[in-house]
Amino acid sequence: MTLTSDIDFSSSENVNKILYIIKFEEENLNHNLNDLLAKQCKIEAYMAGINKGIARMNRIINDTKKLDCQIAHTANLVTSVSAKVRRLDLARSRASDSQQRVHDLIDLQLCGQGVTTAIVEEDYEVAAGHINRFLAMDLQLLKRTADDVQGSESSITESVRILESGAIEMREITVRRFEEAVKKDDLASVERFFKIFPLLGHHMEGIEKFSKYICTKLAAKNQKELRNAMDIAKADKRVHLAYADAMTSLLENSARVIEVNQPIVEAYYGHGYLLDMLTILQRQCDVDVKNLINEFVKNRQIDRRKKLVNEIFSRNSNSCSATSNLGHYRMNSGGAIEKLSPKDIDATIVEITIMHSRVELYFRFMKRRVAMDIEECSDDCNTINDKLQNLNNLLQNSDLRRHAQELLGTYLLFERYFMEESVLKAIGLDVHDSGQLSSSMVDDVFFILRKSIRRSLTSMSVNGTCAVINNAAACLDHDFVNALKSHLQQGYPSGYIDLAQAYSAIQNSLQQGKIHSSDNEKARVNFLVYLNNADISTEYIDTLWRTMEQEIAGAYPSMTMVEKQLIESCLSELKSVRDTLKACVDFGMQQLKSSAINPRLHPWVDQYLTHKHQLTEEELAAYEAGETFVQFLIVQIDGFLNTFKPCLTLRNYDALISIVASELTTRLEKAIKKCVFNRLGGLVLDQEVRALGAYLASATSWSVRDKMTRLTQIATILNLEKVSEINEYWNPQHSSELTSWRLSQNEVRTILTLRIDFRMEDIKRIRLQ
Amino acid sequence: MEEYKFLFKIVLVGNAGVGKTCLVRRFTQGLFPPGQGATIGVDFMIKTVEVEGDKIKLQIWDTAGQERFRSITQSYYRSAHALILVYDISCQPTFDCLPDWLREIHEYANTKVLKILVGNKTDRDDREIPTQIGEEFAKQHDMYFLETSAKEAENVERLFYEIAAELIDQARSKDNSSSMNKNLSDSVGLSPQGSKPPQVSCCSGLSNQSSSQTGNT
Repeated sequence: MTLTSDIDFSSSENVNKILYIIKFEEENLNHNLNDLLAKQCKIEAYMAGINKGIARMNRIINDTKKLDCQIAHTANLVTSVSAKVRRLDLARSRASDSQQRVHDLIDLQLCGQGVTTAIVEEDYEVAAGHINRFLAMDLQLLKRTADDVQGSESSITESVRILESGAIEMREITVRRFEEAVKKDDLASVERFFKIFPLLGHHMEGIEKFSKYICTKLAAKNQKELRNAMDIAKADKRVHLAYADAMTSLLENSARVIEVNQPIVEAYYGHGYLLDMLTILQRQCDVDVKNLINEFVKNRQIDRRKKLVNEIFSRNSNSCSATSNLGHYRMNSGGAIEKLSPKDIDATIVEITIMHSRVELYFRFMKRRVAMDIEECSDDCNTINDKLQNLNNLLQNSDLRRHAQELLGTYLLFERYFMEESVLKAIGLDVHDSGQLSSSMVDDVFFILRKSIRRSLTSMSVNGTCAVINNAAACLDHDFVNALKSHLQQGYPSGYIDLAQAYSAIQNSLQQGKIHSSDNEKARVNFLVYLNNADISTEYIDTLWRTMEQEIAGAYPSMTMVEKQLIESCLSELKSVRDTLKACVDFGMQQLKSSAINPRLHPWVDQYLTHKHQLTEEELAAYEAGETFVQFLIVQIDGFLNTFKPCLTLRNYDALISIVASELTTRLEKAIKKCVFNRLGGLVLDQEVRALGAYLASATSWSVRDKMTRLTQIATILNLEKVSEINEYWNPQHSSELTSWRLSQNEVRTILTLRIDFRMEDIKRIRLQ
Repeated sequence: MEEYKFLFKIVLVGNAGVGKTCLVRRFTQGLFPPGQGATIGVDFMIKTVEVEGDKIKLQIWDTAGQERFRSITQSYYRSAHALILVYDISCQPTFDCLPDWLREIHEYANTKVLKILVGNKTDRDDREIPTQIGEEFAKQHDMYFLETSAKEAENVERLFYEIAAELIDQARSKDNSSSMNKNLSDSVGLSPQGSKPPQVSCCSGLSNQSSSQTGNT
């Protein structure tokens, strides 16, 4: 309608247009109406469904209400039932309480009557049983019962009075009889009354008295043991181990007390009392061990020997800072100070390690046993931890522990002395058997070190083992390396290098009337032997730390994390001595190079300068018919190397060849640069370099090609047909042929100029990228 | 295995009860556990620190002060890069024993070992050794000097970090020992204080109280 109001009806065209719009509009409306009508059906169906649903819902609501009522009702019933049950339970527990009280009362009566007769009849177990029963009763409750039940009051209080006085009497009797038994040393009675104490509620008193009794027994036994040891120490097969044996039996005795009495204590006293027993026992053990150690120190002259060792050490450390100790067996120089042979203290060292290991075992045993007992005694984590802490403190702060630590200190001092002295002795008595690559000292020294470290394992102390490993590393690093160095520093004598030396040598041999060369020969062998010693040592040290690592893991299976790190770090310190030994080898090799290799090698290589390198065909044929330069050189070098081959270890020989190869190539390169070549000269050089390379490769197990590269490349350049050919080598068309050049561009140009037939302009013109 | 650029071994020595273990615990674990028992033999801790971007692994050997462990503790001197000699500023006897300790160090340790004198327990009121006396002693014996309190965590971090820095300097100058002059200037540059004159007695580098004066030089 709005459409029509403001639209212009003036033209029929417009009217038609509007009509068309209205028609379209009408169609749309009809369509929409049809759609709506079509939906009516569906909506009615929904409505019907909803109505049905409402009816059903009403029914459900009714049912639910009924159910609710029923549940509430049931709940009421249940509450009333459970209240009844609760009342029933209460009644029953009261009944059982009453029963208990009745039992108590009856028992009280019985106990009261029984205790006196039992005491009179000396049936103490029964009497104690009665008292124990009485102690278990609730006295307050009994008194109240007595109040409640008129009439029987007097009989109850009477019984209580009898039992109380009975308990006091029993305690007195038990203490008296126990002490009598102790006096008479009647073990059966002692144990009898020991078992009565807990029944009377005097646990601590029982433990204390019994432990003290055992201590007196132990003391007597241990004194006998000690006297025995002293007798044995005078003359017997196990004379060297007398004190270790005494220590063993002493500690075993203490351990046995715990082992034997643990079941009794636990059965009659319950868990948790073993610690108290150990506390008393440990005091006695400490006293006895102290006596033993005193005797040991006196008899084995520990203090005197310690003083001596310390004196020797400090003297040595002072002297060695001034003049380095060149492996002389230091005992020989002393004189004034008393000698202490390492062999002498060897036996004592063994004895100490055994003593220390026994103490460790003892502590382990006690700790395990008592800790087990403690863990049984309570459920409370805190009390258990407190008690365990007490146990730990008891053992750690005991005199025995302190003595063990002192023993370990003595052991380490002696072991270090033994090790250092033996090593110096082995160095001093070094022998070289002809035919052997190395001398006796390498085997001997490593044998000694291994022995010492192994022995430290038997002490059962990780700390001790670590210290011995440290000392072994120090000993190698100092005495052993010095011995090697001092020999290598003397150098390798190789004939007479200068006239003055030769002259003085002749003078000497004339004066002494002996052939000097044999001395020289000896010095040469000696040098090579020590070079081999150093090389073999690097191998031995690897073996040493590896085997020790395994043996340590075997000896201490349950190390803590810190202990493991300790050992690891000490072993790595030992390992690092290898670097020092390697440096010795390198030093020796340098000596060999300057005194043996270079003086021989240089003249041989310099022969190259005397040959002509601009050859005609005829000259070439003549040269090749005779002994060529390279043939001469190879023969000489082969001869030279062969003199060394049987006297050097494989690694040292390889190192020698490596040095020879480097020296040879650099020297030859220098010689080549001093010569001029023609085409044929270059050809010969190329052949000769190839021959040399082939020879060196055959002489050694590892590749020498690397060392030959520069030389080969120089020969290639000198062997070119024409200058431009260089490009084929420098920038080959196929990248696979590309060689990495060891020569710089300038060097290539310089080498090209050595060919007199190459023109300078051509050389300048070549382009190398 | 963790990566690290340097590994240094530091050994602590000194009389029993001066607080060696507490210094180590404070540094490695940030704890001050009072009333713990005497160290037995040696204890061992590792801490990795970072100095100027480099990871440095410090192996710290905490030795027992009691006489009877001497045989064990002595064996660790040789491989030490730095030795920390500790005394208790409130206990004269621990200071009086220092010459004995130095004798022992001289006998067993590497001659080039870095030595640091530490007066511990500055938190105590009953000081018996004035700072100056300790400083003087350190200077006489060519040692660094620092006063610390493990309890209050005072100077503990600094002690170990400066040792690490100094050892790095040493290691670096050893690497290129051929050019000695260059290293001297190098070590100044690397020094965290940036103020240490290369030729001055080494006490000044670590000295706590006097560092303000040296800072101006």
